[in-house]
Amino acid sequence: MGRYSVKHLTLWALLAALALGLSTLDGILPLSALLPLPGVKLGLANIVTLFALYVSGAPAALAILTVRCVLGAVFAGNASALLFSLLGGFCAMGAMILARRSGGLSVFGVSLCGAAAHNAGQIAAAMIVLGDTAVVGYLPFLLLLSLVTGSLTGLIVSRLLRAAVYLPLS
Amino acid sequence: MSLKSSPPECRPNRRDALAALLIALAALVIALIYCIPAETASLQVSVSVDGRVEEFAPLSRYAGVHTYSHNGYTLTVSCDGATVQVVSANCPGRDCVHTGAVSKAGQSIVCLPARIVIRLSGGAADLTVG
Repeated sequence: MGRYSVKHLTLWALLAALALGLSTLDGILPLSALLPLPGVKLGLANIVTLFALYVSGAPAALAILTVRCVLGAVFAGNASALLFSLLGGFCAMGAMILARRSGGLSVFGVSLCGAAAHNAGQIAAAMIVLGDTAVVGYLPFLLLLSLVTGSLTGLIVSRLLRAAVYLPLS
Repeated sequence: MSLKSSPPECRPNRRDALAALLIALAALVIALIYCIPAETASLQVSVSVDGRVEEFAPLSRYAGVHTYSHNGYTLTVSCDGATVQVVSANCPGRDCVHTGAVSKAGQSIVCLPARIVIRLSGGAADLTVG
C-alpha cells in the first residue's frame, strides 16, 4: 500500500461510496415500468467508474468497481446480484480499458463501448443463472438502449473531466 | 493520476459514431438471428424453472391460470388461448408483470429473481417485447 498516498485512497473510497449511492438510486428509479426488460437500468454508477478510469487509471477504477459490486450485493442481501453486477461491471471495464487504449475514441465512444459490454455481461449472467438462452432475445433492445445510456454517461463524464482539470487531484 | 499528463478527448468524434454504428449493427444481427421463424405451424408455450422445462404445451391447451413458485417467489400466469401474461408476482421490480402479454413466437417473459422463463415457440417469430 506504500505506493498510494492517503489522498489517493481517500479519493477512491469517496468514489466507491458515490458509485454505491448511484447504484442504489439506479435500482430505485422505476425505469423497468417504462421499458419492461429484465435488468434495464440507466447505469449511473458507470459515471463514477469511467471518471475513475480517466482520473486514477485502470487499477483504481477496477478496485472501485469491485468494492461497489461487493458492497451493493451485501447491502441488497442478494448473492445472485453479485454475479450480475460483477460480470456486467468487469465486461464494461474491460471494454472501456481496451477502447481507451485503442486510441481515437473520445470519452463518449469509450462510454458507449462500456455500456454495450455491460449489457452483454449481464445477459451472460442471466443465461448462467437461468440456464436458458431466452434472455439473448433481450440483448438487441438492451444494446440499442446502451447507445442512449452510454451517451448520457459520456456527456456527464466529459463535463466532469473538464471540471476536474481545476481540482487538485494529482 | 493521469488526467493532467494525458488530457482525455471530451468531444465526440467520427470514431465514436463508428462505435455506435457497430453496436447498432450487432443489435440488428442478434435480432435477425432470433427472428428466424420456426417451422412449427402452431404456437407452443414452454415454462422453464431454474433451467428445467416444467411445462410444454400447445398454447390452445395451456389456457387457464397457472401458478409457479421458485426461489421464494410466486408467479401467477394467465393464458386465454391466444396470449400469455404474468398477472401477478411477488418478485422485486416485477419486470415479468410489466412485460405484459406475449402472443407471438420468439417472445418470452423472464423473471430473473424467480428464475422462471415463459417462452412461445413455433409459428412466425417476432421479437416485440411488452
